[in-house]
Amino acid sequence: MIKQIENPLLEIHDLTVSYDQSPVLWNIDFSLPEGKLIGILGPNGAGKSTLIKAIMGLVEPTGGYVKIFNKDLDQVRNRISYVPQRESVDWNFPASVLDVVMMGTYGRLGLFKRPGKKEKDLAFNCLEKVGMTAFAKRQISELSGGQQQRVFIARALAQEADLYLMDEPFAGVDMATETAIFQLLQEMTKEGKTVIVVHHDIHSAMTYFEWIIMLNLHLVASGPKSDVVNEDLLRKTYGGKLNLLSKVTEIIRQQEFNPLKN
Amino acid sequence: MEDFLYFFSFQDSSIAFIVLGITILGIGSAYVGTFSFLDNKALLGDAISHSVLPGICLGFLLAGEKNPYYIVGGAIISGSAATFLTSWLKSNTKLSEDSIIATVLSTFFGFGIVLLTIIQKTGNPEMAGLNQFIFGNAIGILEEDLWVYGGLSLIIILSLSLMMKEFSLLVFNQEFGRAIGYPMDFIRLVFNILMILSVVIGIQAIGVVLMAALLITPGAAARFWTDRLSTLLILAGLFAVISGITGTYISFVIPKMPTGPWVVVSLSALALISFLFAPKKGILFRYISRRKYLRKTHRDHVLKSLFKATEEGKKGLSKDELLGLYPHHKKETLGSISYLLRNNQLNNIQGLIELSESGKTEAKRIVRLHRLWESYLNEYMNIAPDHVHDSAEKLEHLITPELEALLDNRLKYPKLDPHQENIPRDNDNI
Repeated sequence: MIKQIENPLLEIHDLTVSYDQSPVLWNIDFSLPEGKLIGILGPNGAGKSTLIKAIMGLVEPTGGYVKIFNKDLDQVRNRISYVPQRESVDWNFPASVLDVVMMGTYGRLGLFKRPGKKEKDLAFNCLEKVGMTAFAKRQISELSGGQQQRVFIARALAQEADLYLMDEPFAGVDMATETAIFQLLQEMTKEGKTVIVVHHDIHSAMTYFEWIIMLNLHLVASGPKSDVVNEDLLRKTYGGKLNLLSKVTEIIRQQEFNPLKN
Repeated sequence: MEDFLYFFSFQDSSIAFIVLGITILGIGSAYVGTFSFLDNKALLGDAISHSVLPGICLGFLLAGEKNPYYIVGGAIISGSAATFLTSWLKSNTKLSEDSIIATVLSTFFGFGIVLLTIIQKTGNPEMAGLNQFIFGNAIGILEEDLWVYGGLSLIIILSLSLMMKEFSLLVFNQEFGRAIGYPMDFIRLVFNILMILSVVIGIQAIGVVLMAALLITPGAAARFWTDRLSTLLILAGLFAVISGITGTYISFVIPKMPTGPWVVVSLSALALISFLFAPKKGILFRYISRRKYLRKTHRDHVLKSLFKATEEGKKGLSKDELLGLYPHHKKETLGSISYLLRNNQLNNIQGLIELSESGKTEAKRIVRLHRLWESYLNEYMNIAPDHVHDSAEKLEHLITPELEALLDNRLKYPKLDPHQENIPRDNDNI
């Protein structure tokens, strides 16, 4: 079940990505509507993070393309905000919460310019939205997992984007924080922003997402929640990898070079 | 003493000049080194510093004399070659980074030593100074050389200050930088160039073998004292300058004494002091706070024992009875008793030690936390009543009033713990 959209906000066309010669995404092809809270679901190793990274141009696809707002990524970068996985950075880096949130303003600021009062005010504003104003001066090494996650979301808000891509923003977050963040995301979509979230918990996914993408190396489904959440598609997503696909991956891996590269 | 006054009064303008040079050199290398230390790339600095030796020798061979421009140029070229080779090997082979660095470092350094030996055989009278590049000699620096090294140091300091935000992004979250469209590969390239330059500025004063220490140790030592980047950079610069001047002074006092080793020795002393005495992260501070904590827990245990005695209907316990409860901790128990007596939490009434009013409140609080935690483990984590005691014995000292309120709320203000013992409240009579 893959529902395509006319005039999509995001269009992914036949995207194939491989890491060190192992294909991790096969011919992903879907399009997404504007102003929705969208969840990417799938088991561990399904390629969820890779999909987000490919959209952000952080991994080189071996085939296919991505169009955002009907344009190439580089033309619309400052309309897109990216939240990496919390574990991908070293939280012992000597920086304060405010320093990290200010990084959200760097994109508009450009190279070599220092952030000023305007940027600082914006950062404080975003900290307030995630309820972290009291922590502004705190060192990031002193934060709990949930607080780190909120700092990352505040940084994303400071980018003032139209499309938000978030990689596992709920990993290691307690229930109260999860609810608060989801409410914030819902408010954002009400203002017409689009939020795409990689998520692991199928239960809360059912409650909050309006549109769901199901992934298991290949695209299983993409569509409104009511159309795609059924037993058959869930089994295809979570019921192990396709046997034949694993075998093909193995053949490709054993070559001395990457045969999928154009 | 005379030497000391002569050196530090800077009446000799050449000494003042050298000290100034060492100061900006130290700040520059500590500045770059701190970023590379935060980036967990400390070894790269070592690789670069060893790899500049063949370049220095080739520069000398080409110029036929100790010309600073040829030597610095050669050093930059061979340092760049080593850096480029390291990253090329990393992306094109499956070798681990540390084996690549070890290989590149020893290959370049070995080649450098071969060239140095060849130069020595030529019998060129100029070559006497070339040995200085191994371990450094700050006093031997000519004014002309100082302009080159000082100028490069200023370039490093200025570039880093200008690109502070870009380099922080590079170290903290490179992917995010790429996502917002920053040319992260270019920023990495600029940073690597600054790394090479920061090695090159030290080749004459500190020497290639030990230059890596001046890059990395100041930042590593300063990290013990602060969690703020600005303070970290200032402290690292200060450490580098102190040890740089110390090394120079010793080279001045003892003729033919190389500067590099003394810089490293004084840097290591600063690092050791930081490691031992820095507040919060220093080993002494942590030892003392652990001891304080252990003393407090023992006092809590004494209060708890007295509380349990009152639960059994006794008024108090004698000193010997209390000591008997902790047979291996006689000294701690005596210490706890006298501390608690001094703080009026205990009363000594004709040899019988009893809880005072404030002692009772505190004892009740500890017992309450212990039993609340036991109840929580039992009810919410399905742990059998006979398995909950050990955990509660540790957590009773840690649970904050907020957590206590939360526990009470979750457990609906229980009266009894899993062992059917009373959970004491402040206004309970005992």
